[in-house]
Amino acid sequence: MNSLNRFADPFYCITRLIVGLMFASHGGQLVLGMFGGMPGSDNMMMQVGGWIQLVGGLVIAFGLLTRLAAFICSGEMAVAYFMIHVANAPTPMAKFFPISSAGPQVSNKGELAIFYCWFFLFVVFYGPGRWSIDAWLRKGKTAAATPTT
Amino acid sequence: MIWLNGYTDTVYCIIRVVVGLMFACQGGQKILGFPPSERGLATTPIGLTAGWIELGCCFLIAFGLLTRLAAFIASGEMAVAYFLTSFSGKTLNHAPSVLERLLPILNKGELPVLFCFMFLLAVSTARVVGALIHC
Repeated sequence: MNSLNRFADPFYCITRLIVGLMFASHGGQLVLGMFGGMPGSDNMMMQVGGWIQLVGGLVIAFGLLTRLAAFICSGEMAVAYFMIHVANAPTPMAKFFPISSAGPQVSNKGELAIFYCWFFLFVVFYGPGRWSIDAWLRKGKTAAATPTT
Repeated sequence: MIWLNGYTDTVYCIIRVVVGLMFACQGGQKILGFPPSERGLATTPIGLTAGWIELGCCFLIAFGLLTRLAAFIASGEMAVAYFLTSFSGKTLNHAPSVLERLLPILNKGELPVLFCFMFLLAVSTARVVGALIHC
């Protein structure tokens, strides 16, 4: 089934687009008050985080400076998970389990933060992929932006 | 920065474990009651099927056994979950508008979307490193 490997790069690029846009919509929620806004988004740290999400999400979605943007976003999500989700969890069990659909006693609801953090870490290492502004800008300079296995 | 690509496989395998185990929590909630959830155990046929698929596929994906097949099934199940619950507006308490149908941030369907696409990625990138059987 190694023939399936040829779909890796196209699938990756579609995933990057969708995840980037979903991430940007969280930024829009925090900074611009889109989608009904988010309570408690008026303090300094949430605003900084919101701008990182909005700009970083859009830039990753379209693949511009992908690795750098993904590194910053991944770090931001790690901070969000530990400083907000884990720090506010009341019980030891809630500090460990991140499941979104469970109550506050058993879960810190940080599943999305973990997801974004790891996916962006993958983006840092994988690179922009073939359908991205980075690859388009680099066309002609180097042969391939990512290895095809 | 192309040297970073050398670590792609390693990072991918770590992510597969993390995502697989998070998926295990979803299945465990529906079938085993652990981790505990407010919704309780699954009782409907759809819920039970979903729970068993999640519980079965998650460990295969996490430890890289029959990864492509398990990831394909799990990805399909998450797509079904998104359209049956989030897209149809069951997570909201009112009839969804067009915008609420389309945007996962409004219909609370971000997790199914993320799981679905991560597993789709796993279908096409089953790697040697960290996998028990490479196929």
